[in-house]
Amino acid sequence: MPDANAKPESRDLTLSRIVPVPRETVWKAWTQPVHLMKWFCPVPWKTVECDIDLRPGGQFRTLMRGPNGEEQGGNGCYLEVDAPGRLVWTSALAPGYRPFIDPFLMFTAILTFEGVPGGTRYSVRALHKDAADAQKHAEMGFEQGWGAALDQLVALADDIGA
Amino acid sequence: MPIHSLAPALDQHFHALADPTRRAIVARLCRGPASVSEIRAPFTMAMPTLLQHIRVLEHSGLITSQKTGRVRTCAMRKAAFDTSAAWLAQQRAVWEARLDRLDAYVIDLHAKEKAHARRQRKT
Repeated sequence: MPDANAKPESRDLTLSRIVPVPRETVWKAWTQPVHLMKWFCPVPWKTVECDIDLRPGGQFRTLMRGPNGEEQGGNGCYLEVDAPGRLVWTSALAPGYRPFIDPFLMFTAILTFEGVPGGTRYSVRALHKDAADAQKHAEMGFEQGWGAALDQLVALADDIGA
Repeated sequence: MPIHSLAPALDQHFHALADPTRRAIVARLCRGPASVSEIRAPFTMAMPTLLQHIRVLEHSGLITSQKTGRVRTCAMRKAAFDTSAAWLAQQRAVWEARLDRLDAYVIDLHAKEKAHARRQRKT
């Protein structure tokens, strides 16, 4: 079974932190919509909807809204729920473990929370399918990314030229 | 990679993009590869002028071109940007920022809960 502290593969992300609060508090922040909605997405975006059915196979859905009304959602499913030590969910399966066709971003997140003197050590490991998938994803966003980068370059070039 | 080692490439990119025709060519190629005659379609310029612009873009590393028979096809040079690494770096930034917010939130939440518990004990 993959562990949040296992050696990261190049296609995965691993982050680990210590925060000076009990792990029950960190667990609560991850598993109760009223708390999660307050920190989950960056301002000026807002998490406007959140459904959490905290059991294996249960729903983890979020909807974020941007300053211009643009929306981005996630509708995944929990795989492991072991309070207050371990929480695993994936965007690749819909609630009830039903395979998803082409979610926006396919990943599995493994969170572990460990009590340490003075607080909680928590780790996040985000598993991606493979480097090719990451590449494919990057190329999907390539045109859009290029569009934005180009706009900025053009603005800058126009400035320089003026 | 330190930023300064990217500077020559950036200079080339800026030079290449400092011209409206070349920007239009790049905008066209962002939608997908195209032959020289496809690229030329919206313009009224002579072929040698267009080819000169394409050479500047190619020299800057922004695009590549390949000749098959009589047709030269141009494309954005994706390899110039390690998209896979960039994507992973972007995901890391998203997570780092998220965890920064989480840390701030749980520290605040914990402080509030402790204060609340103290008030409960007093009453």
